[in-house]
Amino acid sequence: MEMLLMVAAMSLFGVAVSGILFAAATRSEGEPVRQPEARPAERPVLAAPGFFVDERVIQARPGIPIEALLLQIERHVALEQAAAESFLHAPTSQSLHSHTLSPLVH
Amino acid sequence: MPNGQPDLLTGVGDVDAAEVKALARRVTLAPGDVLFNLGDAADSLYIVERGRVALSLPMQVRGRVEDVQIEERMPGQALGWSALIPPHRFTLKATAPLTTDVLALARAALLEHFAARPALGYAVALNVAAIVGQRLQVFQAMWLREIQRVVQMSRG
Repeated sequence: MEMLLMVAAMSLFGVAVSGILFAAATRSEGEPVRQPEARPAERPVLAAPGFFVDERVIQARPGIPIEALLLQIERHVALEQAAAESFLHAPTSQSLHSHTLSPLVH
Repeated sequence: MPNGQPDLLTGVGDVDAAEVKALARRVTLAPGDVLFNLGDAADSLYIVERGRVALSLPMQVRGRVEDVQIEERMPGQALGWSALIPPHRFTLKATAPLTTDVLALARAALLEHFAARPALGYAVALNVAAIVGQRLQVFQAMWLREIQRVVQMSRG
């Protein structure tokens, strides 16, 4: 009789342990899967456009000494001014939007 | 002045032009000297007599404020017309890249002279309008070219 009770108790204990383990293994299946959020640094940034000279172009030329960069900017302004003056002499849509040789635009 | 009268005195007779110049004070600038700074009170109009004057605006470049030259004035050309137009503040910085002589015409003296000679004042006012208008048209065209690039960039 004692042996029978011991086997029954062990069986109940085994069933209880199995149930707990099963519940633990299946708990996360019903929860929604979270997608990792993109960090701010990974999000695309819309930069504000610069006037006359695009700031992104300036930032993207880290190897150029600042003196050379300033000369490029001044050359760009001079070329744009020349193009604008050329437009005033012969105002057409083509001359207004004529091609520029400025390296800051290309 | 290499060829005739300065642009400020275009169409003005020699006698009248000489009288206007007689009101001026000659200023000699050494290389690197600043004639006026952005935001300074504009009390005088200038005519470049010899040398050159560079006009610049401040610009943020790599986190530093740098003066970027946007125009240059040669002998015979006027600068500093803010002296005649309210709020009488310079909107550019003017420096001499080399030894330069300018004639400085004080606003008070000019206006007093023109009050006594309205025809001369009218002729000079037209010349100032031509200088201002030309700059406006040039910068309007430059602005439109820039806007066109922004439109093209936004399309990808």
